[in-house]
Amino acid sequence: MNPDARQDFALAFLSILFEGAPFILLGTLISGFIDIYLPAGAMDRFLPKNKTFAVLTAGLLGAVFPVCECAVVPVIRRLVGKGLPMSCALTYMLAAPIVNPITALSTWKAFQGQAPWMMTGGRMLLGYLVAVGVGLIVARLPLRMVLRKNLVNSLEKNKSPESHTAHDTHTCCGHDHDHDHDHDHDHDHDNHHPHEKENRLVAAMRSAQKDFVDVGVYFTIGVAITALFNTGIAPGAEWLDSLAGNPVAAPAALMALAFILSLCSTSDAFIAATLAKFTWGAKLAFLVLGPMLDVKLIFLYQTVLTRKFILALSVSIFLVIWIVAIAWESWIGKVVMP
Amino acid sequence: MNPTLRRILFSLAVLLWAACILYFYNSGRIVKYLVPDFRPIALAGGLGLAVLGLFNLITARQHADCGHDHAHDHDHEGGDMNPLVSLLLMSLPIALSMAWTKDQFSQSTLARKGLYADVQPSDTAFLANILPPLTLEEIEKSHRKTSDGYLEFSLMEIFFATGDRETQGILDGMKIETEGRIVPERDNNPDGTRMRLYRMFMTCCVADSRAIPIILEFGAEPPLLPENGWVKIAGTLTFPEENGSLKAVLKVDRATAAEVPEEEKFMRR
Repeated sequence: MNPDARQDFALAFLSILFEGAPFILLGTLISGFIDIYLPAGAMDRFLPKNKTFAVLTAGLLGAVFPVCECAVVPVIRRLVGKGLPMSCALTYMLAAPIVNPITALSTWKAFQGQAPWMMTGGRMLLGYLVAVGVGLIVARLPLRMVLRKNLVNSLEKNKSPESHTAHDTHTCCGHDHDHDHDHDHDHDHDNHHPHEKENRLVAAMRSAQKDFVDVGVYFTIGVAITALFNTGIAPGAEWLDSLAGNPVAAPAALMALAFILSLCSTSDAFIAATLAKFTWGAKLAFLVLGPMLDVKLIFLYQTVLTRKFILALSVSIFLVIWIVAIAWESWIGKVVMP
Repeated sequence: MNPTLRRILFSLAVLLWAACILYFYNSGRIVKYLVPDFRPIALAGGLGLAVLGLFNLITARQHADCGHDHAHDHDHEGGDMNPLVSLLLMSLPIALSMAWTKDQFSQSTLARKGLYADVQPSDTAFLANILPPLTLEEIEKSHRKTSDGYLEFSLMEIFFATGDRETQGILDGMKIETEGRIVPERDNNPDGTRMRLYRMFMTCCVADSRAIPIILEFGAEPPLLPENGWVKIAGTLTFPEENGSLKAVLKVDRATAAEVPEEEKFMRR
């Protein structure tokens, strides 16, 4: 890089980083505390018994339990293991990084002066609808088609009557459960463990820091690539610019970029807002696809889902969001901003 | 890796980010990067990161029990990659950027951000919500007059007028004074009598900023002014059509070097 390019890269890089870092911190603090303090069974209580209503509700659970896409996969893995229906788990996994107050706030802030309500509302709505659509389809599929074999086996094992012990409903007493004991639960946890609160605060802060570093690494890479494109240093920046105004090609191009950048949903809006030349539909596609599908998520999904299902899910999500983004752009062009 | 060492490395990465944000805020350089709305958020983020990093650094050796059922193999601290790689990836780009930044874009990136682009009506649509409606009465009421009879205008208003026929009709031929940074005119300048005046408009951060330019016509060789320096220019505003598009051209009567304004860029509000 020549000195001018370095100067440009540094300016763009730092500005996006300063803008997004506080929102990543907020998201990871919340996910860290959820990770430690939220019992695994807590989410089940929010879901109706009817399958369809349960999926529809699962799509909104991110509003109560906000987690970004990096944090949601391990959470889902554990919740599925605890018996949360796969259709609800998958709906929550896809929707929670988008349909949550932190993402809504960061999207609204990032798009100030650029139709913030339209972008935030469009993102929440499309994210919810795509996630619910996937959940409703998955509810009709056999578990083995969706879940990894070891998880299915573990679920089936847990369902057998002899595997039920008091531990299935007891996840937060703070004991070391590596040994095989059983409890009478009529004791007071706070008195039983005087240092638990303090220790769990430390554990929550550690979990938050771990999440921050995990997300921060991908965010740094994403911001660096964005800064290179933003300042025209990256090869292909001109080509990408040439697609910016094309209502059909632009959403596909930005979805590909979202896939590669692997940004966190709490901060990706700050990147999208800098892509001034791109159509509204393309920015929406970037904001909806990114939290559902990217390079790092493909790896994370493999800890829960079968490869065939991941492939089918990826292609379907890409196509649905692409078509909706094109239609949305056309609607905006005719109705909202003619 | 030893869990304590991993915690220390993660804390260092978090503290580096905190230090960087807090340094830019404290030094005042943050004004070149973020709009006013985002500056307190950045400060809160920097302070929050400092608390998170310091807390975890101080308690790195302390035993902590998450309280979960650990019969299965979940881990609250294991990261996606080697902690040393994480530290490197989080610290190297930010450290290099701190060393490289000059708090402004080079000319080539300014060109990419619209310094030499023709103004289209759609380019100025985003300003319609920001600027008040311009009428002759409003202009005379809301704009100060200099001692030698020029109305003080912001570059933004002139830029807006280039894309708005109605406002053009009011401003065409008006004697005005404005300020901005001066750079050589690249195109359509066979006699070398033209320069370009611009300021940046920032929506959220400088990465999303765009240039707001007009053309300066000196009618003779332009006076020697520091390139990319701040100037005050007074003259007569015109909107000729050149090469098939409308331009805002200020026929210069006087040009003087000026102080750098407190906020160099136009902000969203």
